Amino acid sequence: MSASVRGPHGRRPWKLTPARLGLYGFLIICALFFLTPLYVMIVTSLKDMPEIREAHILGLPTAPSLAAWSKAWFAACTGLTCNGIRVGFVNSLRIMIPSVIVSIIVGAITGYALSFWRPRGAVLLFGVLIAVAFIPYQVFIYPLVRIFSYLGINNSIAGIVTIHTIFGLPTMTLIFRNHFAALPEELFKAARVDGAGFWRIFGVIMLPMALPIIVVAVILQVTGIWNDFIFGLVFAGRENLPMTVQLNNIVNSTQGEREYNVEMAATLLTAIVPLVVYFVSGRWFVRGIAAGAVKG
Amino acid sequence: MRIGSRLSTHLALAPALLIALVAYCGAMGWTIWISFTNSRMLPSSVFVGLRQYSSLLANERWQVSVQNIAIFGVLFIAMALALGFVLAALIDQRVRAEGLLRSVFLYPFSMSFIVTGLAWRWLLNPTLGIEKVGHDLGLAWFRFDWLVRPERVIYTLVFAAVWHAAGLVMAIMLAGLRGVDPEIWKAARVDGIPAWRAYLFIVVPLMRGSFATAVILLAVSVARLYDLSVAMTNGGPGIASEVPAKFVMDHLFERGNVGLATAAATTMLITVVAVLAPLMYWQYRQPARRPV
Amino acid sequence: MFTYRSAGFAVAAMLALATPAIAQEQRAEVIHWWTSGGESAAVKVFADQFQAAGGTWVDTAIAGGANARTAAINRTVGGNPPAAMQLNTGKQFDDLVENDLLANVDAQAAAQNWQAILPPSFLEAVTRNGHEYAVPVNIHGQNWLFYSNDALAKAGVQPPNNWDDLFPALDKLKAAGMIPLAFSGQKNWERNLFNNVMAGRGGHDFFVAFWGKRDVAMVKGPEFRNIAETFKRLRNYVDPGSPGRNWNDATSLVIQGKAGMQFMGDWAKGEFTAAGQTPGKEYGCTVLGDHGIAYVMGGDVFVFPQLKDANQTKAQQLLARVLLEPDTQIKFAQKKGSIPVRLDLDTSSLDACARKASGWIHNANAQVPANEMLSPPALTGAIEDLISQYWNDPGMTTDGFITRVANTLTQQF
Repeated sequence: MSASVRGPHGRRPWKLTPARLGLYGFLIICALFFLTPLYVMIVTSLKDMPEIREAHILGLPTAPSLAAWSKAWFAACTGLTCNGIRVGFVNSLRIMIPSVIVSIIVGAITGYALSFWRPRGAVLLFGVLIAVAFIPYQVFIYPLVRIFSYLGINNSIAGIVTIHTIFGLPTMTLIFRNHFAALPEELFKAARVDGAGFWRIFGVIMLPMALPIIVVAVILQVTGIWNDFIFGLVFAGRENLPMTVQLNNIVNSTQGEREYNVEMAATLLTAIVPLVVYFVSGRWFVRGIAAGAVKG
Repeated sequence: MRIGSRLSTHLALAPALLIALVAYCGAMGWTIWISFTNSRMLPSSVFVGLRQYSSLLANERWQVSVQNIAIFGVLFIAMALALGFVLAALIDQRVRAEGLLRSVFLYPFSMSFIVTGLAWRWLLNPTLGIEKVGHDLGLAWFRFDWLVRPERVIYTLVFAAVWHAAGLVMAIMLAGLRGVDPEIWKAARVDGIPAWRAYLFIVVPLMRGSFATAVILLAVSVARLYDLSVAMTNGGPGIASEVPAKFVMDHLFERGNVGLATAAATTMLITVVAVLAPLMYWQYRQPARRPV
Repeated sequence: MFTYRSAGFAVAAMLALATPAIAQEQRAEVIHWWTSGGESAAVKVFADQFQAAGGTWVDTAIAGGANARTAAINRTVGGNPPAAMQLNTGKQFDDLVENDLLANVDAQAAAQNWQAILPPSFLEAVTRNGHEYAVPVNIHGQNWLFYSNDALAKAGVQPPNNWDDLFPALDKLKAAGMIPLAFSGQKNWERNLFNNVMAGRGGHDFFVAFWGKRDVAMVKGPEFRNIAETFKRLRNYVDPGSPGRNWNDATSLVIQGKAGMQFMGDWAKGEFTAAGQTPGKEYGCTVLGDHGIAYVMGGDVFVFPQLKDANQTKAQQLLARVLLEPDTQIKFAQKKGSIPVRLDLDTSSLDACARKASGWIHNANAQVPANEMLSPPALTGAIEDLISQYWNDPGMTTDGFITRVANTLTQQF
């Protein structure tokens, strides 16, 4: 006998059927697989170097201490100064917030225009955007440096925001265009019949229905921009260097001694902002906004 | 289309057009031009014809990189899609602690690979990680040394990459699943269709957009695979886990061979265009607004 | 009432008003990659000495040589160059000189008499077309052999003096159940080990013929075959966990006495020191050579991009001078683990390994310039790939390796 479709609808079932047990079992096993590297990182960050040298990576720390965390944030050496990664934290925020906003807005509008309105050359433009996304972006650094230097926006926040918009455009356009393209055409046609124009349809109808995909866009952009290193290094200017530059300095020294506990702590500290964003974004993963609009 | 809307459309597309022309086509055009020169650490304008390309094709490391990315790409996309979809479908079943589970699967995506790669390297190293744990538990026969075996190392990269990306695929699938009309579930239940059939034959086709998005995002991260390769194996042992983006990166900066690096990047572009152009053409011929 | 004291105060006041203006002008932004704890202490020596001479050091540290070079070069072509940037002693700044982006330091070289105080290979490494373009600041020995006295004692082995002694020693370590050779299986360390064998077995002339002159005939000869086979033979003495291991983790094995020896550069001393060990007591250091000591010397230099601002140019010149002053050199060497690049200094305050090396740099026959000084990064990289394949891929025979190396040496870079 096959189980009939319960479907994710209605009240949460609280009877523990074998199917339900299997479900939870699988999820928990997957969760363990996903959590293992995090466990190693946390555990290492709580040990001291002699214990780490013994190399029992899965072992719990014998005398757990937050010294590495404190050092990573306040006192790790990142060059001449030993002020930890907090130095760049504000800069990372100053870079990330405008970059995320601008890149998502530009991507959403472009995706919307390409999906419903289909002007001439739309497919070509879309093709160029996608094709370029496959090229290692480092080759673009030198020509863009020359262009930006000519435009005078090199080494500034405006410069780095523009860079993130440029390199975020392909993926942002892609996800918005695909999301809008999957919406029923009747919605669009009905609005046109009512006399709504380009911007009105965008603001009043499409944007509210794009909430789940906006969440995905935010996740992508926050992660990509917050963890970005090379663009921040080259385009942001010495006064605006993001936290990843200090993180790189802690983690990447070629010939110096490596303190793995501090490195792990620094990486975990750096990951906190995207993690908070992910956690908070969950509220917007709601069901049925599009469906409700169509039926109503 | 009325004139006002047409103007608005073109205005709205202006930033994208500007970026595409200047930043993309301009920079890519420069890159292609440089691949015909003998540029070392800085761009030079000494034309050398196809010398960089013939070096490239004869370069063993490049050949291995191309093979590796093909294997990696197929396995990674297939596994990430499958795992991401399954996780999304399961989480969608009104499980308890949905928020927590979602975060557990999504958090790998937030961590940059530089140090997470180190954790994975320790876990997969035969003398430090899982194999050692197996031996400590008394299982002397247990082997998991793929990281140090040249013919197996690429699979460890797939493993770590799936760990990293499955959460994002899950998020995309979840967004797509939540756009599916609840009436569908009701109708399927009324018709007595079993759960797995409903998912596979009704829901998945409805989520074509999400799958397309996921596939392209995954494909893009395959092409861009660099950080992971550096963090976990640095292309080793030997050159067994080299990948094209790392080839370009290494030759662009560390090895001061901009000519060779741009030749490699141009080759990647040609490959991508060769695959995308027919796809796009096929799309364009369809009148309906299908997702790519 | 006029007193000398009040006059003194007046003069001091006038000077105090005048000096800040002068001090402000001597700002130098320096891009470098010294970011770990020990490196940080070392670069602080430079900054402090510069400060004491009236300059202001503005620090832009970026870990990873390639990252730092990328940032510095893009800054330079983007119109906002730093006052000074770090590079390795060698051919990394060839392109910068060719594109006329660097200011020369001929004046400094003459004033400090570099002909007399620098080892000839280092002077050569910073000279292009008769002009000096870089200031060398240290010498790092790349081919040391570090060993754990504890481990050797347990195996009943004496520290080896040459390559023939080495293999019996490694065998005894293996028999005693320890890891004979602690190794970090990453491409650059594989190349480092190969260079170590080449310098040790082939000596100065062979090393220079390979990397500098790209002598294909020598590569196809029996001496190179011997070197390649010795290199491959070493692989029998490393443990299965070596691929991908970081160099510090290999040093860690020696520190704990789990492994007997490690071939590494003198920066490894930093790890020993951090673990509380001293040379001569818990660990020892030596350089193996079949033809006597062959000490492979690399190092770091600072180059100075052309600047438009005359005040900044003065700051550059001040910095260039300060870097090579005797006091700066000794203090820096103490912190960094390298040895001073000047030949005329009293090195008795450095550790035992550094003192050994300071003796060698006075002997022209004992010195081998590092491959960075002889070959461009592109060639080094291509050979590095081949060495790594040879080490890791059981399918590559010595003949295959030799053929590929010969082919690569004839390529244009």
